[in-house]
Amino acid sequence: MSTFPWLTTIILFPMVASLAIPFIPDPTGKGRPIRWYALTVGLIDFALMVYAFTNFYDLNTPGMQLWESHDWIPEIGLRWSVGADGLSMPLILLTGFITTLAILAAWPVTLKPRLFYFLMLAMYGGQIAVFAVQDMLVFFLAWELELIPVYLLLAIWGGPKRQYAATKFILYTAGSSLFILVAGLAMAFYGDTISFDMQTLAAKDYAIGFQLLVYAGFLVAYGVKLPIVPLHTWLPDAHGEATAPVHMLLAGILLKMGGYALIRMNVDMLPAAHAKFAPVLVILGVVNIIYAALTSYAQRNLKRKIAYSSISHMGFVLIGIASFTNLGMSGAVLQMVSHGLIGASLFFLVGATYDRTHTLILEEMGGVGQKMKKIFAMFTACSLASLALPGMSGFVAELMVFIGFATSDAYSLPFRVIVVFLAAVGVILTPIYLLSMLREIFYGPENKELVEHEALVDAEPREVFIIACLLVPIIGIGLYPKLLTQIYDATTGQVIARVREVVPTLAQQVDQPLGTLVAPSLNSTSK
Amino acid sequence: MEPLYQYAWLIPVLPLLGALIVGFGLIAFSETTSKLRRPSAIFIMALMAIAMGHSLSLFWSQVQGHAPYTQMIEWAAAGNLHIAMGYVIDPLAALMLVIVTTVAFLVMLYSDGYMAHDAGYVRFFAYLSLFGSSMLGLVVSPNLVQVYIFWELVGMCSYLLIGFWYDRKSAAEAAQKAFVTNRVGDFGLLLGMVGLFWATGTFDFGGMGDRLTELVNTGLLSPSLAAILAILVFLGPVAKSAQFPLHVWLPDAMEGPTPISALIHAATMVAAGVFLIARMFPVFEQLPQVMTIIAWTGAFTAFMGATIAITQNDIKKSLAYSTISQLGYMVMGMGVGAYSAGLFHLMTHAYFKAMLFLGSGSVIHGMEGVVGHNPDLAQDMRYMGGLRKYMPITGATFLVGCLAISGVPPFAGFWSKDEILGAVFHANPAMWLLTWLTAGLTAFYMFRMYFMTFEGKFRNVPPELREHHDHHAAEPHESPWTMTLPLVVLAIPSTLMGFVGTPFNNLFEAFIHAPGEEMVAEHAVDLTEFLILGGSSVGIGLLGITVASLMYLKGTPSPQAIAKAIQPLYQFSLHKWYFDELYEAVFIKGCRRLARQVLEVDYNVVDGVVNLTGFVTMVTGEGLKYFQNGRAQFYALIVLLAVLGFVIFSVQA
Repeated sequence: MSTFPWLTTIILFPMVASLAIPFIPDPTGKGRPIRWYALTVGLIDFALMVYAFTNFYDLNTPGMQLWESHDWIPEIGLRWSVGADGLSMPLILLTGFITTLAILAAWPVTLKPRLFYFLMLAMYGGQIAVFAVQDMLVFFLAWELELIPVYLLLAIWGGPKRQYAATKFILYTAGSSLFILVAGLAMAFYGDTISFDMQTLAAKDYAIGFQLLVYAGFLVAYGVKLPIVPLHTWLPDAHGEATAPVHMLLAGILLKMGGYALIRMNVDMLPAAHAKFAPVLVILGVVNIIYAALTSYAQRNLKRKIAYSSISHMGFVLIGIASFTNLGMSGAVLQMVSHGLIGASLFFLVGATYDRTHTLILEEMGGVGQKMKKIFAMFTACSLASLALPGMSGFVAELMVFIGFATSDAYSLPFRVIVVFLAAVGVILTPIYLLSMLREIFYGPENKELVEHEALVDAEPREVFIIACLLVPIIGIGLYPKLLTQIYDATTGQVIARVREVVPTLAQQVDQPLGTLVAPSLNSTSK
Repeated sequence: MEPLYQYAWLIPVLPLLGALIVGFGLIAFSETTSKLRRPSAIFIMALMAIAMGHSLSLFWSQVQGHAPYTQMIEWAAAGNLHIAMGYVIDPLAALMLVIVTTVAFLVMLYSDGYMAHDAGYVRFFAYLSLFGSSMLGLVVSPNLVQVYIFWELVGMCSYLLIGFWYDRKSAAEAAQKAFVTNRVGDFGLLLGMVGLFWATGTFDFGGMGDRLTELVNTGLLSPSLAAILAILVFLGPVAKSAQFPLHVWLPDAMEGPTPISALIHAATMVAAGVFLIARMFPVFEQLPQVMTIIAWTGAFTAFMGATIAITQNDIKKSLAYSTISQLGYMVMGMGVGAYSAGLFHLMTHAYFKAMLFLGSGSVIHGMEGVVGHNPDLAQDMRYMGGLRKYMPITGATFLVGCLAISGVPPFAGFWSKDEILGAVFHANPAMWLLTWLTAGLTAFYMFRMYFMTFEGKFRNVPPELREHHDHHAAEPHESPWTMTLPLVVLAIPSTLMGFVGTPFNNLFEAFIHAPGEEMVAEHAVDLTEFLILGGSSVGIGLLGITVASLMYLKGTPSPQAIAKAIQPLYQFSLHKWYFDELYEAVFIKGCRRLARQVLEVDYNVVDGVVNLTGFVTMVTGEGLKYFQNGRAQFYALIVLLAVLGFVIFSVQA
C-alpha cells in the first residue's frame, strides 16, 4: 500500500491546473496553447490514474482501496474520504479516458477557448470526485458541482435552442438532486449515531418503511440522471443542442453516475428496500429499452436519435441491477462502461458529420458515404457496436444481463419469460433504427443539394485517432470480457452476496418447480 | 497433442489478420492501399490458401480416425458462473472447414477477374477475408454462445457485402433487410439459448442434449416447454438458411457482387443454419414435435422456392430461389433424422451451387460488355440466349451444374438428394410426394435457365432500352482465366463428389453421422427400393428437363401462352407469393406507425407535463411578483391575514 494520497491528487490536479488557464499567453486568440495545455493536463491525470491503479490496487480485494480520510469540517461531521473499489475504479478510468478524448475532440472549438477548457478541466475533477468520494455530503456537493460546468457548456456553446435545453437540464437535475440531499440527511440522522460516511451508513440497520422512502428518493434523483423513462425528457434536448465534446461527456460519463449511484446507494445500502423495488426497476428497464428504441426509430434528428438510443441501452443496466445474480450485476456494470465508450464514439461521429453537412435532419443527407469514406466506415463500426454485435463490448454486456436475469431465482418463471422476451424485442428494434440511420446518411445516390452547398471532406487523422482509441477497448472487451470483468468482479460479487443475504424472502419467492433446478446446475458448470 | 491440432486456431485467425492489416491500410493510408490491388489480393489469398492447406490436413487426419480435439479457455466469469470459448475439430468441423476454405479460395481467385474494374477492389478482398474468418470461426465453435457470436459476425459480413455498392439505393435496402430479418431469427436463437442454459446449465451441445433428456424424463421440465426452447433455437437457422417465413432477405441479397452470392449466399453462410441443426441434433432428436416442425418447414420451403424460381427472369434471383429450395431439402433431411444425408447434400450443393452462381457471374460479366452496368439489363435472361457460342467454358460448366442440381446420375446432386428423398419416403410419404414433385420443378427451372441463357440465338436488349454508349461490344465475350478456372475446378466435385456417398458404399456416412449414433456395420442395400426411389426421382427430373426443352428450346407450347392460361397462378409465382407486399404492409408500416405514435406521446404527453410544470411556475411567478411591491404595510397585512387564517383553522379543528 502507498501512503501517497493518489485519489485526492487525481481529483484535484485538473481542477488546480485549470486555475492557470487565464495566465496562458494566447497570441492568436484562437486558443491553440490552451488546447495543448488542457490536453496535457488530461493525459497526465489519466496516466496518474493508470499508474495508481496498476501499482496500488489489488483486484481480488472487494472493499475500498487507496483509502484516504481527513476531517474537513468536524463541527458538522464532514469528512473528505475518498476510496476506490471495483465499482468506482473502472468508472474513474472511463472518466479519465473519455474526458481526455473529449478535450482532443474539442479541437475545433474557437469560441471563448479559455472558459471552455477551464470548464472541461473542472468537469474532469468533478466527475472523478463523484465516483471516488465516500462521504454522503461530499458526494452531494460533487454531484451538484459537476452540473454547473455542464450547464455553462450547454448554454454557451450549444445549438440554437441551447438556452431552453440548458435550463431544462439544470432544473431537472438540480431539482432531482434535492432528493439526494434529503434522503442522505435522513440516513445520516437515523438512529443513534450521526455520520455521513457511506460505509457507516451502509452498516446501519434501517426500518423497512424508512428504507422504502429513502430508496424512492434516490431512485428519482438517479432515475433522472440515468435516465429512466418518464424522467428522460431533458436528455434529448440537452443532446440535441450540445457540441460533440460535451456530448461525449454527457453520454460517456454523466449517465453512468446514475447507474453507479443506484448500485452504490440503493442496492448496497438499502438491500431490503431493493428487494421490494427490484421488480419496478425491471419493468422500468424493459420500458426504457422498447420505448426509447421506438422513439429513436421515429426521430428524424440525428443527435436526438442517438440520444434516445442511449436511453434504450440504459434499460439493460436497470434489469441487470435488479437481477439478484452475479452475472446480471456484472453485465450492468459492463453495460455502463461499454455504453460509455460506444455512446461517446457515436456522438463524436455525429458531431464530425454535422461539422461537414451542417444539418442533422436525415432527409437533408443521403449518399454522404461517397465522399466521406472513413467517417462512413467508422460510423458503421460504432453503430454495429451499439447494436450489440458480438466481438464488441455491448454484446457481452447484454448477453450477461440476459443470462443473469433468466437464471435469477428472485422472480417467478412467467415474469422472467415476459421480461426476457420483451428485452429481446429490443434486440430486433436496435438494428432497425441504427441501420436505417446509416442508410439514410451514407447510402444511396448523393443528395445534390447537400453536395453543392457543403464541402464534404473526409475524416482527418485526429478524428480517426479518437475513434481508434475508443474502438480498441470496445473490441478488446468484446473479444475477452474478463479484461474488464475481473476488475470489478470481487466487488459486485460482494454487493450481490450482501443483497441476497439480507433478503430472506429470496428463497421463499421461488415457487416454480424449475426454479430449484437453477442452483445445482449453475454449480455443476463451475467445476 | 500434435501441433496440427494445437495450431488449428490459426485457421480462422489468419484470414482475420489479413482483413485487419488490409483494413488498417485502407483507413490509415487509403490512397496507397487502394493502389496496391494485386499485392493485397495475393496476400489475402495466400493466407486463405494456408488455412485451406491446414484444413485439408485436419480433414485427412479425421478421415484416418483421429479422435476429436477440443481446446477451451475461460472467456467470461461472474461469481461461480464461467463461460468458456475455444475450438473443436471433429469430422463435422473438419468437413465444414474444407468446404469453406476451398470455396472461399476459388471465389477469391474468381473475384480478381470479376472485380477487376471496380474501385472497391481492395475493400472487397478485405471483406471477403473477414467473412472467411468469421465463417471458419463458426464451424469450429464448441458451444452455442460461440456459434451465436460468429453467427452474428457472418451476418455482419453479409450486411457489409450486400451493401458493397453503397451508392445503389436498392443495395442499401437489401443489406438492411438481410440484417434485420436475420436479427429476427437471432432473437429466437438468443431466447432459446438463454432458455436452454437456464434449464440445463450449460451451453455445450452434447451436454445440453443429455441434460434436457434427463430433465424431461424425470418430469422436471415439461416436454412442451423443452419443445418451445428448441423451436426458438430453430428460428436462427430459419433466418440464416432462408427458410419460410424468413426467406425474404435472400433474393434481395443478390444486390451484392456475384462472387458474394456464390460464397455467402449459396455455399457457406446460408448453409450455417443446417450446420447448426446438425450441432444441435442431440437436443432436437429428443423432441419429436420439433423434428416434425423442422421437416415440414424444410419441405414447404423447398416447394415454395421452386414454384417461385420457375417464373423469375433475373438469373441471380432465380438461382437464389433455387438455393432457398435446396436448403429446404437439407433442413427437411435433418428434420426426418437423416443427419448425414442432409450434410451430404450441404456439401454437394455448396460446390455445384457455388459453380452455378459463379457461372451466372461470368454470364453477367459478359453481358455487361454489351448492355452496360445496369443490373436490370445485364441479369435479365430474356435478353440473353445463345451464349454457349460466345462463352463455351461457362456454358459447359453451367450445364454440369444444372445436371447436378436436377438429380441426373451420376452427377453429385443425384446421390445426395436421393438419399434425402429415400429417408423422407420412410418417414412421411406425403412429404416425399411434395418434395418429389419439387424435384421435377427443380429440373424444369434449371433447364429453363440454361436454355434461356445459353441456347438459341442471342436476343440482346431491345434498342429503346439500351444505354447510348458507343463503346459497347456487339457480342458477349468469354471471361478471363481467373474466372473460368474456378468454374472448371468446381465442376470436378460437382460431377464426382457423389460417389463418396452412394448407398452401396457410403463413405460419407461412415465419416459423418449423428453424435451418439453407432454405425450399423454394412447395412444391406435394398437394391429394389433404391432402383424404385432413385428411378422415380430421375424420371421426374428428366420429365422436367423435357418440358423445359419443349417450352424454351422448341417454343411449343409457348411459355407466354401457358402464362396467360394460368394468369393468377403465374402472377402469384412472379410476385413471390406476395410475401414482400404482406410484410411491408404488416410489419414495416406497422412498426413505423407505432414508433411515430410513441414519439408523439413522448413529445406531447411526457414532455408536455414537464413543460406545463415550467409554464405554471412561470405564470404563478409572474402573478406573485405583483405582491412583492415594497410596501411594508402590504406585507404586514398579508402576515396578519395569514395568522388570522391559521388561528381560525386551528380553533375549528
